[in-house]
Amino acid sequence: MNRNLARILAALAGAVMVTLPALAGAYPLQVARNIMLYMALAVTWDMLLRSGQISFGIAGLFGLGAYASILAVLRAGMPALLSIPFAALLSGVVALIIGFLILRLRAMYFSIVTLALAEIFRIVIQNLVDFTGGPEGVIMKGRIFGGSDSGIYWLTLCGLFVALGASYWFEKSKIHFALTAIRNNEVSARTSGVDIFRWLLLAFVVTSTIQGFLGGIYVQSYGFATPDSVFSADFTLLPLAMALLGGIHSTVGPILGAVLLGLASEYLKLQIPYGHLVVYGIIIIIVILFMPQGLLGLFRKATRGGKGRAS
Amino acid sequence: MTKLRTTDLTVHFMGLVAVNKVSFSMDEGEILGIIGPNGAGKTTFINLVSGIIMPSEGKVEYKGRDITYMAAHERARLGIARTYQLIHPLENLSLIENVMVGSIFARGNSLRAARRKASEVCAELGLQDLDRDTSRLTILEIKKMEIAKALANEPEVLFLDEVMAGLNVDETKDLIATVQLVARERALAVGVVEHVMGVIRELTHRVIVLEAGELIAQGPYEEVSRNPRVVQAYLGGAA
Repeated sequence: MNRNLARILAALAGAVMVTLPALAGAYPLQVARNIMLYMALAVTWDMLLRSGQISFGIAGLFGLGAYASILAVLRAGMPALLSIPFAALLSGVVALIIGFLILRLRAMYFSIVTLALAEIFRIVIQNLVDFTGGPEGVIMKGRIFGGSDSGIYWLTLCGLFVALGASYWFEKSKIHFALTAIRNNEVSARTSGVDIFRWLLLAFVVTSTIQGFLGGIYVQSYGFATPDSVFSADFTLLPLAMALLGGIHSTVGPILGAVLLGLASEYLKLQIPYGHLVVYGIIIIIVILFMPQGLLGLFRKATRGGKGRAS
Repeated sequence: MTKLRTTDLTVHFMGLVAVNKVSFSMDEGEILGIIGPNGAGKTTFINLVSGIIMPSEGKVEYKGRDITYMAAHERARLGIARTYQLIHPLENLSLIENVMVGSIFARGNSLRAARRKASEVCAELGLQDLDRDTSRLTILEIKKMEIAKALANEPEVLFLDEVMAGLNVDETKDLIATVQLVARERALAVGVVEHVMGVIRELTHRVIVLEAGELIAQGPYEEVSRNPRVVQAYLGGAA
């Protein structure tokens, strides 16, 4: 019954997503796009987290993808649509190279280094003034699909589906067992034949590739990039807050968290401009203190408790 | 046939020599006890043989092949498995999923094949209701799951690091019978670290005794337990 409920909800959500461009105006579409983008980032963050590695570098690979995409169009004349997979590829290759260097690190050492790398990408791009436009950034003549709101909506939806599809693959394949074993205990994982570095590298490269892909979609939707906009800490912190609120180590948790926080922040932005970030901070603190497994964890606890009493 | 052999195996951490020139071998079908007082280096020795830590000197051979510096996950694939003193059930995975890990990664089985193999191993060990969350297992079931996880590697050499600890008399008897059964069926070479001497006496064909990292005696339990050096190691002082 639980599974049926989930199917109905998923079908309902799918129907809303597909019909939205036909029914809704520009503003709701923009809100939906924002939520989908952050949702996709939250899912990719969680995918790596399933191995126990906490990345603070989402904005780094996202921003890198954004610049790869816009510069490919502006400097090499690449078609806008093609520049998005190109951005994904570039972020993936960069992740492969840095992965060899940093995936020997664990816990906070890994986290700090990913944070630092994001900052390094930003500083490098900011200082390659001739190529990247420096602090002022670069601007395209027009946006992708001639700026069509529904076209950009579909593109963002496509980005979300890539992230959700990858997350589903992670959950249903050997990867799930590898990452869970690594997260629980690396020594015992090795004894079970798990080649830890290989699986961490796979998770890091796949999630970074998708983050670059999303960066490409983002930059093509707005038609411009500055270091401050595409490397914004929002792209690291908001997905993190969403995944934590919804419930980590799952696909559903980040989706739930993104919808709730996305809508809440849109509302709060109107009520108290800039104040929504304070609310975000408070949410993170409350979640970490009182429900480390997120809303999904509370839900699971409730249903499992019920089952326990019944048997 | 000799499955595993070490020659002058040594490891030191800074100045401390934890395992010192230990040479031993284990044959197919043999259950070997590894005993010694606390801090003698028993677990460190298993860590060396299973590749969790690398030796400073000496050699480890598995079926005649030099594996001294081979990575732990590759040894698991070759056929060396072990359990841990501190048991770590994988959270968010059910009993059978815990057992599947070794079958998936050490044997390269598909999820479907791994599930089938894991349920066979669990049935053999008398584990039931395999979709349970690991937080719902009894202590005996957890110990059996730990052994099942190791057996999912389909090993030829198995080390059991204090699997009997914390069990009552009946549970201990149950687990001894289980270990004997799986060892015989698979002609496993089993290394058993245990503090309860009754278990060692009942389970093992032969024991080696470590003290301060050195192998001080080996032979059948009855013989070794009368060895003055062994008695001295356990009781201390000038016996």
